[in-house]
Amino acid sequence: MINKFLESLYTKVFINIIVENLQTLVYVEVCSGENVVENLHKKFDTTTINSKMYEFVRVYLKESPFCYISVLDKSPLQGAIPTCTASEMNSYCDITSSKYLCFSKEWSFYTSEYDLEAIKHDYRSIGVDFIFSPFVIMAEFFKDKINSTLSMFVLIEDNYIAFSVFDNSELLYAEYLDMEHHKDDEDLLMDSQLEEEELLLDIEGIDLEEVDLEDDIGSLDDFANIEDLDNSEDIDEFSEEQEVEESAHQDVDIGTDGFNEDYQRFSLIQSSLSNFYKNPIYKSQFIESVYVADGVGVSSDLKGYLEEEMFLSVYVRKIDLGVSVCDMAKAELNEI
Amino acid sequence: MRYSYIKPRTKTLFTKDIQLLFAFFGVTIFMLFSTYAFLLFRDYRFNQDRAEINMKKEELRIHISKMNKQISSIEQQSMLSEKVFTKNSVLKESINNLFDLVPGRITLSEAKIMENGLILYGITPNKDVYNFMLQAPLRSIFYKTYSSFYPAKNGWLRFVSTNYMNEEELGSED
Repeated sequence: MINKFLESLYTKVFINIIVENLQTLVYVEVCSGENVVENLHKKFDTTTINSKMYEFVRVYLKESPFCYISVLDKSPLQGAIPTCTASEMNSYCDITSSKYLCFSKEWSFYTSEYDLEAIKHDYRSIGVDFIFSPFVIMAEFFKDKINSTLSMFVLIEDNYIAFSVFDNSELLYAEYLDMEHHKDDEDLLMDSQLEEEELLLDIEGIDLEEVDLEDDIGSLDDFANIEDLDNSEDIDEFSEEQEVEESAHQDVDIGTDGFNEDYQRFSLIQSSLSNFYKNPIYKSQFIESVYVADGVGVSSDLKGYLEEEMFLSVYVRKIDLGVSVCDMAKAELNEI
Repeated sequence: MRYSYIKPRTKTLFTKDIQLLFAFFGVTIFMLFSTYAFLLFRDYRFNQDRAEINMKKEELRIHISKMNKQISSIEQQSMLSEKVFTKNSVLKESINNLFDLVPGRITLSEAKIMENGLILYGITPNKDVYNFMLQAPLRSIFYKTYSSFYPAKNGWLRFVSTNYMNEEELGSED
């Protein structure tokens, strides 16, 4: 009681760490009661922690004794399964060396215990208070849609994709997709079957051209569809996080990398969906729509691929992972 | 419902800065209280000492008054002794004078010296010797002198001379 009272007198500092492909995004939010006093994004050229990041975080750590550090889990061994009972979990995957938590007593998310320890070890100099699963971030982000539709939900991060299928808040399928790993697989394939790949690439090249032609019409449709979603929120987020957006645009501008990545993402989603259809363990249902939470600023190509190749209705919402993780930390703190 | 895989570290207000601050204040308060306690103790001791000194003072005062009394009694005694000494010396003188007064031919057998008089017993060869040589000076000294004679075996006369001082003179002397 006294602690709660004293806590309300102090400002709370939420430091949220999102590890990207080559950089680390740190989003800091300073709250006084319910009001946000200060918030900022900063990027550091490290995937763990360097002296610049340490100094930056330390300034905020000193600001208040109630400073919470949250990290978004990037473990490739994480996922989500459509059950909450431990005995049933083993039929989906091996969770002996994993830590799992239940979400709304309907489905659970898990991650490797070793990776949790690795995160704690990496950030031991500043400490870690919360580690969140991207599936939870996604579930909270699409809360309004998950509860009412049968659809595919995708959270796109810098190097990973959290893929899930929900039917009226019931999880049917979930997978955490590693783009780097997938690329390696592709390289291996390319080495062994060079000629075949070349042919395939030619065919794909033709497909892409077609997509480009219809891209503009597709994007117009997107806006029509998004209008009933939360368009205004997206715009707000745009204005707040210009830095992030700019950097995202830069990524796209760099060259064909963004284009390749989008195709890679598309192929991963495609293979994952086919896995969902084929695997008899999961309750297979026909998916007609996909909700994409875009955390990196993908080009409209991905949307085009999904619409053209898989005939899905695509809804893209921008997500600021830093803000979402921060909101999660606040929600978690209120639970305690 | 929990969202995070791990629980947050317990947050405490007692950071190192606050701990240092509390330690500093703690030491200051401790020093203040110890000074206060020391002063209280000194005050108590001072009061105790004062009471003791007052008691001693009272004792000494009583002692002094006792001694004063003793001094005054001793002074009185010394005055008395001086008086006695003067009286004695006066008496000695008067006895000396008395024996000087008695001529060689008259023999005293008894002398009674009283406060207001003198009674002399003795033997004289005849009344004339007595009358001229003893009675005359006695009369000059004493206010009243009575003499009576009766014959002794050897033909001499025994005499009793009773002399009294003037009562008024005696009173004025005192």
